[in-house]
Amino acid sequence: MSSSAAELRLVDIDAPRPTTETETRILDAALALVGRWGVAKTALGDVAKEAGCSRATLYRAFPGGKQHLFLALATRELATYRRGILDAIDAADELGDALTRALVVATRLLQDHDAAQFILEHEPGLLLPFLGFHQVDVLYRETAATFGPHLERFLPADRAAWAAEWTARLFITYLFNPHERRDLATIDDARGLVERFVLPAFPNAPAIPHPT
Amino acid sequence: MLGSVVAVSDDPRDRILGATVACLGRYGIAKTTVDDAAREAGLARATVYRYFPDGKEQLIAESITWAVSQFFHELAVSVADAPDFATLVEEALIHAHRAVAEHVVLQKVLETEPERLLPQLTQSAPQVQAVLRDYLADQLRDEPLLPGVDPLDAGDWLARMGLSFILAGGRWDLTDRDSVRELVRGELLVSILQPEALSA
Repeated sequence: MSSSAAELRLVDIDAPRPTTETETRILDAALALVGRWGVAKTALGDVAKEAGCSRATLYRAFPGGKQHLFLALATRELATYRRGILDAIDAADELGDALTRALVVATRLLQDHDAAQFILEHEPGLLLPFLGFHQVDVLYRETAATFGPHLERFLPADRAAWAAEWTARLFITYLFNPHERRDLATIDDARGLVERFVLPAFPNAPAIPHPT
Repeated sequence: MLGSVVAVSDDPRDRILGATVACLGRYGIAKTTVDDAAREAGLARATVYRYFPDGKEQLIAESITWAVSQFFHELAVSVADAPDFATLVEEALIHAHRAVAEHVVLQKVLETEPERLLPQLTQSAPQVQAVLRDYLADQLRDEPLLPGVDPLDAGDWLARMGLSFILAGGRWDLTDRDSVRELVRGELLVSILQPEALSA
């Protein structure tokens, strides 16, 4: 349990990002291969070949080997994912708009991510460290801590954190248990859900135009 | 808990499934055999195969589905006397949270073999969700709904939220009655029931 929590922190938002061009090229190569063959079948030799570098170069960039490379990749992809959702929230004028945009962007970015789709479909076991009972609690806490502050334009801090957690719950249930008629990648569907079931609990959230 | 429900049933199929669940708690998913289940149920190996011709894999999968449905059956029984819908949801959350924490077999297998258990649970999730949705929709049909609320739609939403909270309480303390009350009446049902159905 503690090792999973540690792992979650490792692939979390504050870990250092790769900076060199070589590292970026290697990570891009690994990402493409995972989208095609998955994590298990992606060998370091293939990554080096796809990146157009030698195995020695790859090991210099990621001395810990495959584990190191894939943690760096997960860290980078999660940071990009998080950035995309935060940008969507920050561009909103009111709470319902912010939650709707967050849901739609989170859903679409995930749908368009070949590597994530491959893992969800063929290697779901890789997600298990994050989906146990205790780990989902950690996930909600981190989500509230990450996205909550960006909702504080509309709500007091504790309400903002709860709105973020609630939206994360909504996202997770629709991800693992899709609704036959409702698709969160569609703005109208996401907005309908937010307006119908979430917003009534936040009756006094003001409209605040986004900064720029 | 589960054991008492199992003992009441005389149906051999239920007896085998209950016995298998008991074995899972004792030996784990990987090590439980058809022989173990037969011995625990007090039945011949051939009898177990008559009910579960595909052997161990089928037996394990169906016993987990069975344990899940037992769980929700007990949940329904435990809230049957709730005086109103809001109380029913509160009681269900409190009971389910406690039942998960106290479920010896579930906790043991979650701790030792999550990689074997979680896929099975994930697989049965849509089915559980559908049953829960229909149950809640039925209850909601007699309630003072806000204008425009469709019972089936609201049932689907509440089933999703209910399962989400059974899996993880997040910032809500589901062992605390006041906290659960605040969650149910102040958040989850505000969009569904008339205000007078949320006081009391």
